Amino acid sequence: MSSRLNRRRPSVARRHHHAVLEAPARLKSLPGEIRVERLDNGLTVCLLTNRQAPVVTSALFYRAGTRDEPAGHGGVAHFLEHMMFKGTALYGPGEIDRITQGLGGVNNAFTSHDATAYYFNFAADRWTEALKIEKDRIERLTLDPEHVASERQVILEEIAMYESEPWDSLEMAVHERLFAGHSYGRPVLGTREELLATNGTDLRDFHSRFYRPDNAVLVVAGDLGDDALDAVERTLGTLPAGAAPRHGPAPADVLPTSLVRLERRKGEVARMMIALPAPAGSHPDHPALRLASTLLGDGRTSRLQHALVEDEQLCVWASADLSEGLDASLLSFAAEVVPGVEPARVEARVLELIAEVHTRPPSEEELDRCRQMAAADWVFGHEKVHQQAVSAGLAMAIFDLGHLDRHLVQLMATGTDRLLEVADRYLRPERGGVVGWSLPKAGAA
Amino acid sequence: MKVRVRRVEGSPVVAVRLSLQAGAREEVLPGQSLVTGRMLAEGTSRRDWRRIAEESEGKGMSLESTGSFESIGVSVDALSQDWELALEWAAEILLDPKFPADRCAWTARQAAAELESLADQPDVKTAWGFLEQLYTPHPRCRPVHGSIESLLALTPADCAAFHRRALAHGILASVTGMVDEDAVRDRLTSLLGTAPSDAERYPEPRAPVGLGPRHVISLEESDQAHLYIGHLTVPRRHPDYAALEVLAVILGSGAGLTGRIPARIREREGLAYTAYAQTTAGSGLDAGRLLMYVGTSPTTVEQAERGVVEEITRLVADGIEDAELEEARAYLLGREPFRRETARQWADLLIEAEEYGIPLDDFEHRKAELEALDRPTVEAAARRHVHPEALRVTVGLPE
Repeated sequence: MSSRLNRRRPSVARRHHHAVLEAPARLKSLPGEIRVERLDNGLTVCLLTNRQAPVVTSALFYRAGTRDEPAGHGGVAHFLEHMMFKGTALYGPGEIDRITQGLGGVNNAFTSHDATAYYFNFAADRWTEALKIEKDRIERLTLDPEHVASERQVILEEIAMYESEPWDSLEMAVHERLFAGHSYGRPVLGTREELLATNGTDLRDFHSRFYRPDNAVLVVAGDLGDDALDAVERTLGTLPAGAAPRHGPAPADVLPTSLVRLERRKGEVARMMIALPAPAGSHPDHPALRLASTLLGDGRTSRLQHALVEDEQLCVWASADLSEGLDASLLSFAAEVVPGVEPARVEARVLELIAEVHTRPPSEEELDRCRQMAAADWVFGHEKVHQQAVSAGLAMAIFDLGHLDRHLVQLMATGTDRLLEVADRYLRPERGGVVGWSLPKAGAA
Repeated sequence: MKVRVRRVEGSPVVAVRLSLQAGAREEVLPGQSLVTGRMLAEGTSRRDWRRIAEESEGKGMSLESTGSFESIGVSVDALSQDWELALEWAAEILLDPKFPADRCAWTARQAAAELESLADQPDVKTAWGFLEQLYTPHPRCRPVHGSIESLLALTPADCAAFHRRALAHGILASVTGMVDEDAVRDRLTSLLGTAPSDAERYPEPRAPVGLGPRHVISLEESDQAHLYIGHLTVPRRHPDYAALEVLAVILGSGAGLTGRIPARIREREGLAYTAYAQTTAGSGLDAGRLLMYVGTSPTTVEQAERGVVEEITRLVADGIEDAELEEARAYLLGREPFRRETARQWADLLIEAEEYGIPLDDFEHRKAELEALDRPTVEAAARRHVHPEALRVTVGLPE
């Protein structure tokens, strides 16, 4: 651990000591009033005041994920996320959960390729307990060797769990193939071998490099009082800065140049996933591509569901999805095949429907329906303050707060010409992508 | 008909839930409730499925019809400006379904395919074995889907018959969101007030008996073993339900990895990623279940089973600590604001409150119920409803 960690700032920082970042008082994409500030130690604080219920979510995002892991230690970001619940100087193993429970709250965490997040949901009168916990986890994480060994076993079981799930294991294989050579192709959990090679020193190094206030975004959302920012300053504002610089966007430039096939044998049902490379979430093409994804796979009237499920009855369900990454994104089409239907027929039909976007552009009515669905889905998906906090935090940790509004506004402004322009760039499986199949074992030669 | 309407501030949405109080627990043919419920949105006298989908999605609505163990019904989530359309369409779908033959055949086939897909998931397959072990011959012993054979044998007439008799069990309605309560109540009454209910109600299902004490399921493709341990407990309205909720938190259904089962199995012994406990899983009109689950390596499954049984035995023999009771109570009370944060949560909560005749929407009632529990009361409930000698075990093991 760096000696800089022992530098403590006095806990009397006043509001004029930190910069007020440019941010609107309200966003189009999220309800409530918003205030964004940067403390002297570099911590970005976003207060999202929304008094719809007497609850508060405190969510701390670190700009560190799988993409930031050192070679040979894949999974260390996720391993560290587990260890953040296994003890600090102030809180013994399991004590963070017990305190959370005793206060009637819940907590959890997640690791992605681009970021790691820790959150607490509490009643509005006690949420500041989360700040004390986060402070101690940054300052005085224990990483006891016995607990490191025990938690490694837990993660090995987690890997076994995902590998047993047909969709999870197919998805991981498809990602690995599409992004071979890029960190997005690596599993967030790491491999068994990498986990066995990762010890407390590796965890400590990762923590020291990235778990610092100047590499973090705190979002506090919900029924906040006037003293919310003071509470943050008194606790997290006293931590010293000192994060290692994160490497900037690294485009995924080694991608398949044709539609690569991948087949596995698992279970009794045929499952297909087609993955195409897509631009980073901040790219101006991303919102229009999301509308194309809605057109193809969102709702019963979408082209994939309408054709494959409702009309031709080849698939139990079909969907399209677009991820939102810092370096690149992934446009995926997934379908579960009705037993007895020839998988090749489904694959050919999905590729036809993707190609049809170019030759049979959406009508204005069809496009309007897609926009309505995308807008309503956004509203339904952000009713809870927890959901609002997670969206704001991910946007700020990976892109910037304005990303949410820009994305939504651009999506709603997308017309046929723009959609076709973007489709021409990205809805081209023949230029590169992966078609992955999990086929029934019974059909194996 | 019972109607609950509540204005909920926050996002500009409205949630509509209409429910008929008969489900798979009443059905004569396995899968009848599920398929009938799903068929509600497959066409009415006025519109076919395509038009229903186009018109609802054109408004950005989420419109679904479903069938479960205790009910069939319709749910619509819409932007609040469309509240009247949401009510009209929900009522049309609930009261006037036509059950077209081609859609019925497809809906049943789709459900059969889902069943095959679920069977590919080792934990689900093992969970089905556990339900069979506990509930046979009660309908809860099988998946709500029924079986592939029973699904493929269902006809439109079977759906129409189930729907007609389900209407006799009565309609529950809840509408919540940024709406005018009086206007919604008036409109709902005019839309649903004349619902027919001339059919005979279904009889109560056969009581659960269960199978033997131990059931091993062979899993073709899994690196993990899946362990389910437990027995039946109480229905939702039972006076000991709240005490059992406290016991569930103490055992392992609370925040993070708290509770005796996760603390021992995951935190101390590192045997599993997933380990939890429940005491009233699936409680409703029928008894729920004490359930402890561990997903672990085949080499450690015996150790995990031993650990779970020891913890259950210790709970009944030694009771609980005051601190555990206080923590569990605080946790359960603290969760209440999060159960009523959104319009959709309120809509579901109000339906549940009406279904079981419990004032779940009344926070003061909930608070009083939990504050009335002391340690002797909770320990007495444990002695009445937790039986280490009667635990049944289902274990899914890789081949």
